[in-house]
Amino acid sequence: MLKALNFTELLDRAKEAIDTRVRIITAGLSINELRALLRGDPPTEKPNPRYKVHVTSFLFHIRPKFYQQASTIFTHTWRLGFFTVFFFAIEIITGLILMIYYTPSPEEAYTSILNLMSNVPYGKLLRDLHRLGAEGMVVFSVLHMLRTFLTGSYKKERSFTWLTGVVLLIITLGLSFSGYLLPWDQLAYWAVTIGTSMVEAAPIFGTEANLLLRGAPDIGADGLLRFYLLHIVLLPFLGVLLLSIHYYKVAREHSISLPAKYEEEDLSQDVLKTAKKRVDFLPDLITHEVFLTSLGLFVMIFISAFFYSAPLENIANPQQTPLDTKAPWYFWWLQGMLKLGDKTLMGIILPTIVFGLLFAVPYIDRNPHRRAYKRPVAVALGLLATITVVVLSYMGLPQYAIETPAATRIIQDLAPEEGLGELRAIPFEQLQPGIYQVNVSDPDNLCPEMLWGCPELEVVFSEYSERINEAEEEGRLPEVEALMVIEEWQADLVKVTPRIIWTDPESGDRKTYEQHIFLHRDHNRSH
Amino acid sequence: MSRVQLEIFFGMILITITGAILIFLGINEEQRMAEFDKFQAAQKIEVGAELYEINCRGCHGLQGEGVLGLAPPLNDAYFFNGRLAEVGWQGDLEDYIIATVSTGRQVSTRPEQYPGAGTPAMPTWSDRFGGPLRADQIEALAAFIINWEATAKGEVELAEIPSAIPGIEDLDDPLARGLALYNASGCAGCHAITGISVGAVGPDLTTIGTTAAARVEGYTAEEYIRESIINPSAYIVEGYDDLMLKTFVETISEGELDDLVAFLLAQE
Repeated sequence: MLKALNFTELLDRAKEAIDTRVRIITAGLSINELRALLRGDPPTEKPNPRYKVHVTSFLFHIRPKFYQQASTIFTHTWRLGFFTVFFFAIEIITGLILMIYYTPSPEEAYTSILNLMSNVPYGKLLRDLHRLGAEGMVVFSVLHMLRTFLTGSYKKERSFTWLTGVVLLIITLGLSFSGYLLPWDQLAYWAVTIGTSMVEAAPIFGTEANLLLRGAPDIGADGLLRFYLLHIVLLPFLGVLLLSIHYYKVAREHSISLPAKYEEEDLSQDVLKTAKKRVDFLPDLITHEVFLTSLGLFVMIFISAFFYSAPLENIANPQQTPLDTKAPWYFWWLQGMLKLGDKTLMGIILPTIVFGLLFAVPYIDRNPHRRAYKRPVAVALGLLATITVVVLSYMGLPQYAIETPAATRIIQDLAPEEGLGELRAIPFEQLQPGIYQVNVSDPDNLCPEMLWGCPELEVVFSEYSERINEAEEEGRLPEVEALMVIEEWQADLVKVTPRIIWTDPESGDRKTYEQHIFLHRDHNRSH
Repeated sequence: MSRVQLEIFFGMILITITGAILIFLGINEEQRMAEFDKFQAAQKIEVGAELYEINCRGCHGLQGEGVLGLAPPLNDAYFFNGRLAEVGWQGDLEDYIIATVSTGRQVSTRPEQYPGAGTPAMPTWSDRFGGPLRADQIEALAAFIINWEATAKGEVELAEIPSAIPGIEDLDDPLARGLALYNASGCAGCHAITGISVGAVGPDLTTIGTTAAARVEGYTAEEYIRESIINPSAYIVEGYDDLMLKTFVETISEGELDDLVAFLLAQE
């Protein structure tokens, strides 16, 4: 009876059955092959099963079989494209979860963010990751473009890939900008108001385009819904589509470019052979990608956990424009341009030309060479454009070329309408009631009754005094008197009134500027 | 080790650390969320305080002490202990404040002491009823007003405020002192001066410095203004009711009266 059972044969059949199942799931890789992959051993079968999966499996089909050794050199690509996609994935995942908690209406939007922060475990982390990922995606896509330009990797068969890349950059900016409005706070509301007001300046159909985007002359319920749908449906859909095209060309058609020297210098056959050696997707590229992903996740979660908080200001108030309103940082260059001239010319026509030129770079630049010294004009223009964008961005800051009256500026810097500012960073216990006068009160001993004094209040007060005196010397605040009054207003609530009185040089009248700032004990601003 | 193995090794270390950070965050989440709630409540009070300064203090006083003859105090013990029972309110104080602020008051409940600012006694504030404030702003106002509870019930004493109007004694210019008084003593709640206040209960004072002389025969502009403050009923401008607080002058000093008169005279 026992003899009739052949265990070896049974075992073999079981192994075979398991092997068949595994191969179905892994699109052709056996268990032994999987082990060999992770151990860095050579392929176990012939023909190479690691290449076969690229035909049999969809997910592997859209990945490259291999890259050439030299094109994977870190300082050639800096992995910028990879991380752009990494951030996009982060955005999709965190975005899907955030959508559960968000309601796109002016009445509910801000409250739903507060609820996310105060009632959802990991809610703040999700929001921080989503925001940080958005910034990262903009930064990395721009850097990726710059790298591609400087290494001349947009030429010949790669020119269409470049073109899809520029579309992806626009989609990235659109995604980031449309998401900006969703928290419905002052920062969001006014930044987007500025941004969309640009559209209005478009010739012929400006008013209509603006109306289409905002849903009403001003951003309201309709505008919010439109931005929301742009943000979660249209732009992500276009993004995935364009990204697929962009990536498929890299993975399946022309691969990552080799560093130019391997194409254009006379190098020995040995060097060239090593440079063109295949680095297979399985296992080398995929482990590298998994490693980069874990590195990226670690860095993002580490930063969000300990250093970064996505900004959230007061709820949007269409009746009140904060003093230093500005666009998101990646549109500062546009704000800077607007200060230089006409809204239609600077806000619409020139940017359109700029993006048009970006699209056309591979078609304008017919120089076949890729090494930097063989294309000096292109490299110089690229660097010049980069510097111009940086300078324009600086000019876009509200501090540049916008005359704010001295007294307003000083008090605004001390305690901005939105955001933190030095005054709000003072610990509550140090806000001792009293009338503190610039150049009268002893700035080193403002709170003699307090055992440990109030060093942080003193620092802020000294700075305030300094700026007042500076402005007086420069003649911007003649005959100035300045105070800082701190009053206990309610239990756990103080009112701080910085007040500046000066003589207006033109009319000779005494003028007063003051702000009332209320600070509550529990409003811990370190969060 | 091959590069593949190195990357697997360090990748796993990174994932472990990331997991540890997530667990660390998870442990602290309850506390973080509770803190955010506190932070949120505090911010609401700050926002409410700002809104009160802009919208309410004209009638209810700089610090909610009320203005006799106009609007009741909001910072006294009665408001927190007896008010709801007196009006027979079913909900809590927050509901009461939100309801009152939103819909205003057609007529005063205490017409002898606090007749309010004409009809309606208190305007509607909610944008639902034609007022200027959104629901979240009215909630913030309620949070600020409720925060008077501790001082109203005597549980907390505030440090003595150096002056009713901070820094007023430091102002050299009588006109500046007068302006500060005008804003702080409730005048601004009922009277309008273009660019300073928008009250519509009493006569517009934008040009009172010139029009005052023509009001009562034999009075100079200064005499007329002074009398109108000391005895508001002496002369009532056509189209207005005798609503101004009769005892207003008792709330300010002799010198302050002079400043206020000088300030009003300068409105030409």
